[in-house]
Amino acid sequence: MHEFGGGFHLRIKQSAEKAINRYMSNILVIEDDDIMLKAIRNILRKDGHEVLTAKDGKEAFEKLDNEQYDVVITDLMMPYANGLEVVSRLRANTEKRHVGIIVCSSVGNEETITEAFRLGADDYLKKPIMAGELMIRIRKLLANRSANLKLVTKKK
Amino acid sequence: MWKDLVDLLFQAYEQFSLLPLFIEIALAFIIIAIAATIFAYGAILYKRYRTYVHEKRVAFISPIIEELITDQVLLNENLGKDIPTEEIEFDKEALSNKVYKKPFVRQILIETLIQYRKNFRGEVGELLRKLYIDMDLQKDSFAKMKSMRWERKIKAVVELTQMDISISDVTILPLTNSTNPSLRAAARNAYIQLSKNEPFKFFDIATEPLLPWDQLEMFKIITTTKDIAIPNFSRWVSYSSNKSVVSFCLKLIAHYDQQSAIPAVMELLNNKDHYFRADAIICLGKLSAEVAEEKMVRIYNHQPLNCQVEILKAMGAIASGKYLEFLKTEFLYSSNFDIRMNAARAIIKHNTQNSRLLVEELMEMTHEENQLIIKHCLNPLIKY
Repeated sequence: MHEFGGGFHLRIKQSAEKAINRYMSNILVIEDDDIMLKAIRNILRKDGHEVLTAKDGKEAFEKLDNEQYDVVITDLMMPYANGLEVVSRLRANTEKRHVGIIVCSSVGNEETITEAFRLGADDYLKKPIMAGELMIRIRKLLANRSANLKLVTKKK
Repeated sequence: MWKDLVDLLFQAYEQFSLLPLFIEIALAFIIIAIAATIFAYGAILYKRYRTYVHEKRVAFISPIIEELITDQVLLNENLGKDIPTEEIEFDKEALSNKVYKKPFVRQILIETLIQYRKNFRGEVGELLRKLYIDMDLQKDSFAKMKSMRWERKIKAVVELTQMDISISDVTILPLTNSTNPSLRAAARNAYIQLSKNEPFKFFDIATEPLLPWDQLEMFKIITTTKDIAIPNFSRWVSYSSNKSVVSFCLKLIAHYDQQSAIPAVMELLNNKDHYFRADAIICLGKLSAEVAEEKMVRIYNHQPLNCQVEILKAMGAIASGKYLEFLKTEFLYSSNFDIRMNAARAIIKHNTQNSRLLVEELMEMTHEENQLIIKHCLNPLIKY
């Protein structure tokens, strides 16, 4: 249980408390379509979240290395690194594997969706999306995450 | 001054006419080449300048348009309050901004709205459509429909389809049969998406062919469009004189498993065109039409190889078990490799007690090559 020890555990706890209290979270949106990127950013900011954006896989990795996020919303087909790489890299990182991941893509075939979930995505939204649905899914994801983290804290 | 120029040209012509013929030809070629190069460079520069101006305009106007969509649609206060989209009002002052009266701005606005609609459905999608209507942008699209240029017509059809604005049959139906393949395909796709009651009405008047790529696109649209009214496609199988329409309908019959179309499809087994017959046989196989087995066996010996192979495949798909003896005979005595391979596969596909016994029997009694064929067909990892 090395990954749940020390400063990392404290960070998770703080992050969970923040989410429980206000459902407000730090979100990274990774999307190569400029219009979609701005639209999601505006919608999420309206919902009270702190939103950062990345236009491709490379920029996403840089931002993921530099900051902690509660939720990552990623497209699948992007330059430099695709969404599945983002998901697998996040899940492979012991410090960041707690991040909630929502894949948001126009790819709707069973194989890709299954692969995304297999690699560790928490949710999958097929474009065109519904703004209300996205917000509810983020809230649910944050609530589930914080409940899980509470459980882990109790066990400790 | 003009006189001097004319004199100069005249002197040049006189000098030119004194030159040997091959020099004259060479000079003519050089002059033409220089003129063509200058013209091409001019055209390229002009095009680049126009693109530059357009990009500059887009860069200037895009933030204004995005702000409008963000304020009026994405961040609309009435979203998520169970208010019907039709009752949500936009800020009239924002919409009546003079900048939105310029044609190029309106075109960019339409394109941006379409881009947003591709990404959003539900309430936001509906509100984007309402913004398009409230700003009278559909009038711009309908104006484009009247253009003589087919590219503009396609643009208009796509815009109206994306925004779910219905187009009258009088306007769109003739376009579904246009001689221009691109316009024809766009109009047909639009008709399927927009027509609520009879999305396939254009099949009645289609004289131009449905190209394979068009069929693929259309199939994608038919299977992904919500609430589409699916008719009985046997109607066109029986009456259409357009071969590509009939062929496409056979695929749709199989896809939607329209069992009631079996008699109409069976009629095609008498058709003179063997490609048609092959399509009909494939369709009957996919429908598992047991009633067609007897007729297929009856006509089998008079068919070309492609139809015979399709009959064997269809018998494997139907797998009634009534014609195992026929399949056994074909497997044992046919001199054609494809026939033997498909007969073996058809027997194996039955997957019944009798068929399994028959496979064992064949393995014992047949020669080495046929045994290999059976082993190949029995391997579930090999599909072909």
